[in-house]
Amino acid sequence: MNSNASNSEPVLDLEHISKRFGGLQALKDVSLTLYRGEVLALAGDNGAGKSTLIKTISGVHKPDAGAIKYCGEQIHLETPHQARDAGIETIYQDLAIADNLDVGGNVFLGREMVKRICGLPFVDRRRMRAEALVTLQDLDIHIQHPENPLRSLSGGQRQSVAIGRAIHWKARVLIMDEPTAALGVPEQRKVMEIIQKLKKSGVGVIFISHNLNDIFQVSDRILVLRRGEKVGERLISETNHDEVVRLMVAG
Amino acid sequence: MFLEKYFSKSVLLASGGEQTSSRWLSLLASFRAWLFLLVLLAIFEIWARVAYNATFLFNPMNVKAIALFTITPLLLALGQTFVIISGGIDLSVGFTMGLSAVVTAHVYNWAAQFGNPAISLVVAVVAAFAIAVIPGLINGHLIADLRIPPFIGTLGMYGVARGVSFLLAKGTTVPVEGRLLGEIGNGETFGFPNLVLLTIVIILGMHYVLSHSPYGQHIYAIGGSVNAALRAGIDVRKNTIALYVLSALGAACAGIFYTAKFSAGAAQAGEPVLLDSIAAVVIGGASLFGGSGTIVGTIIGALIIAVIQYGLVFINVEPFWQFVAVGVVIIISVLVDQMQKGGRK
Amino acid sequence: MKRCINTLTIISTLGLAALSPIETTFAAGKYTIALIPGLTTDAFYITMHKGAEAAAKALGVDLVFQGASDFNPVTQVPVLNALTARNPSAILIAPTDKVQLVEPLKKASEAGIPVITVDTFIGDGHYQTGSGNADFPLSYIASDNVLGGEIAARALAKAIGDKGKVYVSNVKPGISTTDQREQGFKDEMKKHPNITVLETQYNDDDANKGASQFQSVLARNPDLAGVFGANLFSAMGASSGAKQAGATGKVKVAAFDAPTSIVPEIKAGTVDIAIAQHPAEIGYFGVLAAYAHLTGQSIPPLIGTGFTVIEKTNVDDPNVKRFIYSD
Repeated sequence: MNSNASNSEPVLDLEHISKRFGGLQALKDVSLTLYRGEVLALAGDNGAGKSTLIKTISGVHKPDAGAIKYCGEQIHLETPHQARDAGIETIYQDLAIADNLDVGGNVFLGREMVKRICGLPFVDRRRMRAEALVTLQDLDIHIQHPENPLRSLSGGQRQSVAIGRAIHWKARVLIMDEPTAALGVPEQRKVMEIIQKLKKSGVGVIFISHNLNDIFQVSDRILVLRRGEKVGERLISETNHDEVVRLMVAG
Repeated sequence: MFLEKYFSKSVLLASGGEQTSSRWLSLLASFRAWLFLLVLLAIFEIWARVAYNATFLFNPMNVKAIALFTITPLLLALGQTFVIISGGIDLSVGFTMGLSAVVTAHVYNWAAQFGNPAISLVVAVVAAFAIAVIPGLINGHLIADLRIPPFIGTLGMYGVARGVSFLLAKGTTVPVEGRLLGEIGNGETFGFPNLVLLTIVIILGMHYVLSHSPYGQHIYAIGGSVNAALRAGIDVRKNTIALYVLSALGAACAGIFYTAKFSAGAAQAGEPVLLDSIAAVVIGGASLFGGSGTIVGTIIGALIIAVIQYGLVFINVEPFWQFVAVGVVIIISVLVDQMQKGGRK
Repeated sequence: MKRCINTLTIISTLGLAALSPIETTFAAGKYTIALIPGLTTDAFYITMHKGAEAAAKALGVDLVFQGASDFNPVTQVPVLNALTARNPSAILIAPTDKVQLVEPLKKASEAGIPVITVDTFIGDGHYQTGSGNADFPLSYIASDNVLGGEIAARALAKAIGDKGKVYVSNVKPGISTTDQREQGFKDEMKKHPNITVLETQYNDDDANKGASQFQSVLARNPDLAGVFGANLFSAMGASSGAKQAGATGKVKVAAFDAPTSIVPEIKAGTVDIAIAQHPAEIGYFGVLAAYAHLTGQSIPPLIGTGFTVIEKTNVDDPNVKRFIYSD
């Protein structure tokens, strides 16, 4: 099923993914395709397997069966690092940002820019901050006091920094787990705007949400899971809230 | 211009976050350690002049004595700063110091057989560092691999290091035979005590590592969010072990300096200094929960404690007030820290 | 006030008692005497142990030496309890607190184990008086620390020409031995009208703090003439502080206790006077007294051992040298 709005290049292909944990079949024969510049919503009740699915895509879990293709090529992800290096970035609900560091420090964490003085590396905080701000500006995110530690920013701004961090390192697939869950309404809207921008720049986005409004506002397609199996896949334009709920609950 | 850049960095690293409106409060807070020190020095100076017609600040002996007195808790506090920023704590530094002090004395005496005091010195120093690495590694392993909370892990190490130090020392102090070590320990170069000069070098090194090297940045990150650090590809395990080894090496310096100063290595040399070292870090602006703190802050904290203890003797205040005073300073520091952090949402 | 008792009388009395035929009023077999020091890792107590061993060997009794590695009732009491449970013939102990050790020692005493305290005491050190709850120990054997303080004062007074300002560098208040030394020092100095005793400084057994305090006192009192370090680390601190301030020789340093590390200091002149206790004698008499009691003799409730004043002039004298605490 193709999404009309997008460039028809698949950036991620999951083919017949299955995953078992002991006695529990968390995923059973799940297939999905994500295209460049499209937003795919992942919906389902608790325990449907959404979390397991995104963890499989981001390298935390290895599938028992099935294949993952990234930009047309098959990949085997052993660790989350490989996924990240390949360009699959995941933003979990806890954001995983160091809120005692500033914007630059977070975006460049682990990959700090240094200037060498007498052969010794000196972390170049000013440059990191400047470059991080450029990336954020491209997403229309503005931070008033960028030298401040992230803990002084609002939840939505911190979410945007997490997104900016992913984008800066040229992610082509961005997975977001409940991005608007802890945010107030104006900030939710801001995050949705950012996702729109991401779409325009060709990033493929998968996001998990319980918020049907958000889903319908920004997604191109929706995939519903129930008890580890794919029970429905629709173009957003061809479905409605009721149908989605029905799929989630009754399958 | 330079000052502005420096202090804004202080705001970034040493203070918590703040809203624009309470920015002045946060500047005040990051200045607070400096301010406190200046106020303290002013009080002692005024008191000395009024009560005894003597000067406190401008007597070079006082300055030297305070500098020398600050060295020991400061050397322990430098490593402790790193550890506390990462969210941990190292309670074993006192006895690692004693261990190094005793080993310095023993090895220095043993090396006399080579007939060259300079060689004895080098061998003793190397041995003291080498022995300190062991508790550092064990601490790091306990905390990083076995996931034992730092408080408990290092407390256990405290007991072990203690036992080993006392065993090695057999009596409580190991006298140093030979004069070179004592001469360096008590000597001066260009009018500055050697130990103070050496400490300054160590401070510069520690400051570079914490505030300017990628490793330092990673330590702050670990203190802020271990998840973020892991996610960023930082080898949290190795970094944590390195932390505790660093702390132990700082304690080794303190132990070597002790033996150099007193020409005797004592196993319990560091015992009374542990709490002062932690207090120095806290007074200097670090949060015991991790994520913030600076070398400069710690230095100010250590100076404040030394100035209080020295000054109260100088103006002839009853000794018990010294304990009260240091305790009060700690409480005030933490309160101001809380207040200023309370400004964020 | 405790007064030093003629040691010759003691030696001969106990010696005779030791040589008399053994009454088997207790269980047959060897006596086992437990010696619990203030801490096991201190040259002073190690020397005491050696003296006790010598007596034990001479008398044919077994000596058990167990203690904690720090001077702390919290760590000493469990050791005491463990040894009590093994039912030794007698307990020699250097109590680390004059109040907290009363109950555990009383338990031992009530279980039929005679208790003798060495070096430090419980209660007020006056035993067998019939009053107070800490009078059950049989004897208190120690250097007379008050006398020791007096001796230090006299030696220091002589060294500074009997005039000037002095102060005491002490550990912390509440330790019977160091408190007594300070008391003796101050009492003796009252008899020297031209000597002013300044406020005592407490260094918490930290030589660095002692050094800093010395420099502070000297800065405020440039005419400081002498300092009395009431224990090893106090003396180390004072002597180091003097070195740093360039006041070695100008300010006389008197030290209490004489471990081997004091010898180079005396030779170099950074410590002028060291008051050595006789811990080996304390250990020796301790075992002797316990044995005497076990064989039905009565023993005095107080046995005081003496001191040796060590200075540069006599530090190499073999008669004096043997009082240096060995490790």
